[in-house]
Amino acid sequence: MLQAETLQLLCLTASSGVPLFSRGSSKQLPFSIIGSLNGVHMFGAGHGAQLASCETDQESRVVWGVFQDSLMLIAVSGGGGSAISELQLHRLLENVWNCMVLVLGQDELANVRNVERLKRELRSCYRLIDMLLERINDDQGFMGDLTQCSDCLLPSHSSLLQEALDSFAQAAESEFGCLLVHGRVAQATEKWWSRLTSQEVVVLSVLVHSLSGASSCDYPVFLPQGSPTVAIRLLSFQLLPGVHVCILCGPKPSLCKAQNELIGRFWSTFAENLRSCLEQAERSTLPPSVNLRWDIQALLLINRESRRAVTVCPRVRSGAPSQATPLLSSARRLELLRLFYTFAVTRYFTSQETSVSSASTTSEDFSQGFTHVPVQCYLVTDECKCYALQNSQHQLFVLMDLSVPTFALRNVATQTLSAITAATGF
Amino acid sequence: MASRHLKDGSETDFESDKRETKEDEGGSETDSDASSYSYSDSDYSDDLEPEWLDDVQKNGELFYLELSEGEEEALLAQVSANHSAATNHVRFSEKEAEILTDNGKKQAASGSKSEAKLKKFTKILRRKRRPSQRKNADGKDAASSQRPTSILKNQAGQRPGVVVQQQRLKDVCVYLNPKRLGSALPPSPERGGLLEALLGVVHRPGGNAGKRAGKLIIHGLVPHSPASKCAEILIGDALVAVDDVDVTTENIERVLSCIPGPTQVRLTLETVCPVGMGPDSRAKAAPAVSQLVRLLWGEDTVELQMSIAHVPHIVMYLSLKLDSDSPQDEQEILYQYPASEAAVQLKSVRGIFLTLCDMLENVTGGQIVSSSLWLQQQLVHVGYWKEGSNLLVIAVPANRVPLLYLQTVIEGVVRTLKVMYGSLDSCFCEEENAPRLDHFFCLFFQQLIQPSRLIDSSRPPTPDISGSLFLDGLPAVRWLTLPADIKVDVDTVLSDFESSDFGDMSEDFYGMRRLYVILGSCLFYKHYCLLPLASEQRVGQLVVWREVFPQRRTQNNTTAHPGYCEPLGRHFLLIVGLRHFMQCVLLEAGGCASPALGSTGPDCVYVDQVKATLLQLESLDAAIEERLSAPPTPCLSCADWFLPAGGRDRQDGIGSSPILNRLTAAIKPPSPSGIGRSLFGEAGSASLRGRRPSPQRSLSDSGSEGHTDGTPSFTSGLSPHATPDTLRRTPSSGTRRDSLGSGGSDGSLGSAGFFKIPRLKHPNPFYLGSLRKSLTDRETEEMHNVLKLTAGAENTLFHYVLMETVQGIFIAPTHREMNHLSGSIHPQLIQNFYHCCLSIRQAFQQSLPSRDRKGTERPQSSRGLGPVKEHGVLFQCKPENWTDQKKPAPTMTYWVIGRMLLEPVPQEFYVCFHDSVAEVPVEMAFRLSFGLAV
Repeated sequence: MLQAETLQLLCLTASSGVPLFSRGSSKQLPFSIIGSLNGVHMFGAGHGAQLASCETDQESRVVWGVFQDSLMLIAVSGGGGSAISELQLHRLLENVWNCMVLVLGQDELANVRNVERLKRELRSCYRLIDMLLERINDDQGFMGDLTQCSDCLLPSHSSLLQEALDSFAQAAESEFGCLLVHGRVAQATEKWWSRLTSQEVVVLSVLVHSLSGASSCDYPVFLPQGSPTVAIRLLSFQLLPGVHVCILCGPKPSLCKAQNELIGRFWSTFAENLRSCLEQAERSTLPPSVNLRWDIQALLLINRESRRAVTVCPRVRSGAPSQATPLLSSARRLELLRLFYTFAVTRYFTSQETSVSSASTTSEDFSQGFTHVPVQCYLVTDECKCYALQNSQHQLFVLMDLSVPTFALRNVATQTLSAITAATGF
Repeated sequence: MASRHLKDGSETDFESDKRETKEDEGGSETDSDASSYSYSDSDYSDDLEPEWLDDVQKNGELFYLELSEGEEEALLAQVSANHSAATNHVRFSEKEAEILTDNGKKQAASGSKSEAKLKKFTKILRRKRRPSQRKNADGKDAASSQRPTSILKNQAGQRPGVVVQQQRLKDVCVYLNPKRLGSALPPSPERGGLLEALLGVVHRPGGNAGKRAGKLIIHGLVPHSPASKCAEILIGDALVAVDDVDVTTENIERVLSCIPGPTQVRLTLETVCPVGMGPDSRAKAAPAVSQLVRLLWGEDTVELQMSIAHVPHIVMYLSLKLDSDSPQDEQEILYQYPASEAAVQLKSVRGIFLTLCDMLENVTGGQIVSSSLWLQQQLVHVGYWKEGSNLLVIAVPANRVPLLYLQTVIEGVVRTLKVMYGSLDSCFCEEENAPRLDHFFCLFFQQLIQPSRLIDSSRPPTPDISGSLFLDGLPAVRWLTLPADIKVDVDTVLSDFESSDFGDMSEDFYGMRRLYVILGSCLFYKHYCLLPLASEQRVGQLVVWREVFPQRRTQNNTTAHPGYCEPLGRHFLLIVGLRHFMQCVLLEAGGCASPALGSTGPDCVYVDQVKATLLQLESLDAAIEERLSAPPTPCLSCADWFLPAGGRDRQDGIGSSPILNRLTAAIKPPSPSGIGRSLFGEAGSASLRGRRPSPQRSLSDSGSEGHTDGTPSFTSGLSPHATPDTLRRTPSSGTRRDSLGSGGSDGSLGSAGFFKIPRLKHPNPFYLGSLRKSLTDRETEEMHNVLKLTAGAENTLFHYVLMETVQGIFIAPTHREMNHLSGSIHPQLIQNFYHCCLSIRQAFQQSLPSRDRKGTERPQSSRGLGPVKEHGVLFQCKPENWTDQKKPAPTMTYWVIGRMLLEPVPQEFYVCFHDSVAEVPVEMAFRLSFGLAV
């Protein structure tokens, strides 16, 4: 039996049902179960009914996804205390598929000729997939896998870094360059945001993060939407421990040339800036110039145009009165934030991205039942008060202290939004 | 606790009764059954035998409905306008004559002419409702002997002035189901064969049809048959082709016998038709009988079902234990409905449902509750309910029932079925329940998929399904708050009844043991009681009787009250309706009353006593009616008033600001009758009460009445301002008193009349002088008596629902109040409100201490978001078709907020108001619940 709060991911060939791999923290499911999970979907498909998901009374869930008519991914979650939402499982399946395409290319996955060979090749994706599975419940504040927006860091000297990155990318004959600090995007070229889809940006940052052990690397990648069949080179260099710069480029320049000539030329002068950036990342994802109210427990801000997101989860509260209640643990706050995001997005707000799986469903159709547009919502629970608002540019999700009066939530949220956007231009 | 269950029971049960009347109506009406039922030898003999006696079923159940005279006549006129039914009418009339003579003596005894008339109509209707089989059983009944002359005469008489007639062809689609025929007796040719049995067309060879040899002239229609139902097949028409196959008298039987299963066939008819009057024009004029009445009589369901046949939906009761010894096809399906194409597809994948149910229990240890699948590009949600070794599966399209509300829907169905039948197994596994379950689920799916159609078939399906979904899902019935004096009257009358002191009619009088103990009763008035029927039509008489299985009895909660155990008895629900009133009584047999054996039918004494109670209450009709037509309390605003006039609204002359409207409202004060304009008391509708056998419960009763009595002082205490110029003044601290709210004007005025006012005299909103003078004393008084929920100077309340879970009642603006608030935006807003409430309520539900399916409490863990106390959503709307290109469309924002209160009594409160004033929903909830004296 599947343990509570665990997650299993299964991959099978869609036509024949041969298991390719199974990942997850707990013990692998028995083969008979895998067989019937696959069989029940295949039976339905044969009768014109595509099974999408199911749920038990303890909020265990099974979600099916068929990709390119060749591979089937099944996610099985055990219920219990912190159940994983359906939206999260659907996004997981898509992200896993995108990772597999990123590494192996779509051709390899869509036309399975030799199952044994595919099994071997898929092993190279395990690291990425495991990382995605961990991020379902991570306490680092990564939410990109759920929001399908890249997790960002807003550095204080962003214009300087932007210039450096742009000129570096130009010298490397690339339009796509990106600077990551501890797995979060600190800076990226304009094309990185505008030309890559949000799913690609998310899996690319996961990939670079997974390669962070190497000082430099040259990795062939397939972009799941941009170029699913033709490989592109991803060059990644470690500037400081925890700080990486990467570019997407064609055959030139060689890794060696870029490492020896370009890195030194463009980045040595910014060592100080990068270091202060690192220091800031230890404390917060926002620059010190932004002052949040003490009663804000956590927030998630999404830029809907560039599909970027910032997660803030302060470690200490500054300026709180002495009688204030202690903060919830940061893991719990992030969990609440994730749940609240799912709650608001599945019911009221739409997140307008396209999905790649053949029969993907999210419960988002609930929001289509509204005749008028939901723009804000709030929740009062025993632990905190949550507020969400969206306008044409941003979506903001805030967790606040119980001491904030309910009628003031809206003001606090709008002020916070304007404070952040004014200070950082996010 | 007890009273809650009681109400649960009666509520759900009635709902079901409403939905499954078909079999009661059409089933066997053999008189032997009725007479086999024994009366308690009370002195009943000298009275008339009750009209409903013939309708009592073998198992004692009864559903008897009779419309009041006015409606009857309208109905008959309508029926005779309908040509197909006209024949039936003729036939009935002949019968009726006999009946009348039969009844001659009784008539004299009763001495009341009108009563006899009523009876006559009763008979007519009852005849009309007879199924077609009966006719077959009777042999050639009236049709052959009386048919030709009278019908033709009648036809001619009905169409005076038809000079020119012409032959033309028309196509008519009818739905045929050969399986309904039953294979036992193949229809013999001399009885009309398949033509008559299947299609319901009577054709007599020879006779006056001789000159058109071979042609299938329609000489008659079998009542209740597909042909008569479709209302387009006329007597005198000739059947030319079936599905484009030419038919004659020779081959018609062969052609019809080729129809394998339930299907729709297209009949081509040659018709004699007056010039200029095509079938279309008549079809439009046709339906006027309340759709609801037709449903109650079990008509129309085939048509209803076909109208949603393309929407995938199904209900199945599957057995998880397969008998491998006798591998029969589909043996695991214990029950299934409907048989449409989409449903067949869902049925064919039942393996998925069975496998998932089994597998998930093995893998995760939990019971499956829902799954989603794509069927023909449409997302379908499937809900599960496992009971024992059987599995109930209900599939509905996702765009009708959101996944997050699916479980509430399933639980509602299961609860209803359990109250009706005791358990799902006894419900589905017994063969004779099948037709009535068919009817139940037909109406159930209609309610989910196109609820508006149930009320009125001519209306196009509206997308507003959330409203009915939400209100039906609440474990509560609508409550009508009444002024104190009326309420006292009602309470007294009901208490008198509940005391079972029937004088010389009671069993005590004869030294017998009581037949039943009255556990409780509740009274419904007009609308929105359980059956919306009484709002549309004055019910002549309604008697419903059936055994029910209240949930309290099936749940084992002996631990809650040590030393007390539930009496082992049987329970019966008796519903009697007279005009706009309807009373439900829950009776217990066994326990301290004498045990009931076998299938027990309704007892005349009890029915009569309820009727007497209702007659007693009838004097209150006018008072309650007045209460209903009083201006809404709390005041409601219309959303359109908050948007500047744009486009077509402009010519309506609606003021552009709420203030303006408020002023106009004040200028034209409401309804002429200002008496009894009680301060509270406007909202729901059912005045309902439980019986209080124990002191503890009567305490709670007096408690709730205490609120009532407290209210006037509450309101008056809050209105310290005595001058009329409070119109503009902001209420001082804490007192939320406002002038007549903008919604307050439309008491008895039609909305049209209301909207004219501003055009006549456009008052200057900034000049209050004249206005002040125009307010008379009484209006001033009124202004202070109007309860207002929202804070601030203006009334910003759009809509509200307050539910009290212990008593199982909810309060919402009455339909009449809502009809006054017309506009283009407002209906959308209401729809949006209900849709949002679905989500809010689900958020509350999931945070409540969860119970799993077996009723035991699950270990509480800090799961998900944790307990949600309050949840609000802000909406933004723009006027549709904004014509002004230069300016951006104005927007209006409003909140929909839900609040759950656990203290002092568990309540859920949903409110919708304009964004301009920050509100504290708790305060509003308290204000409403105290103000309205729940």
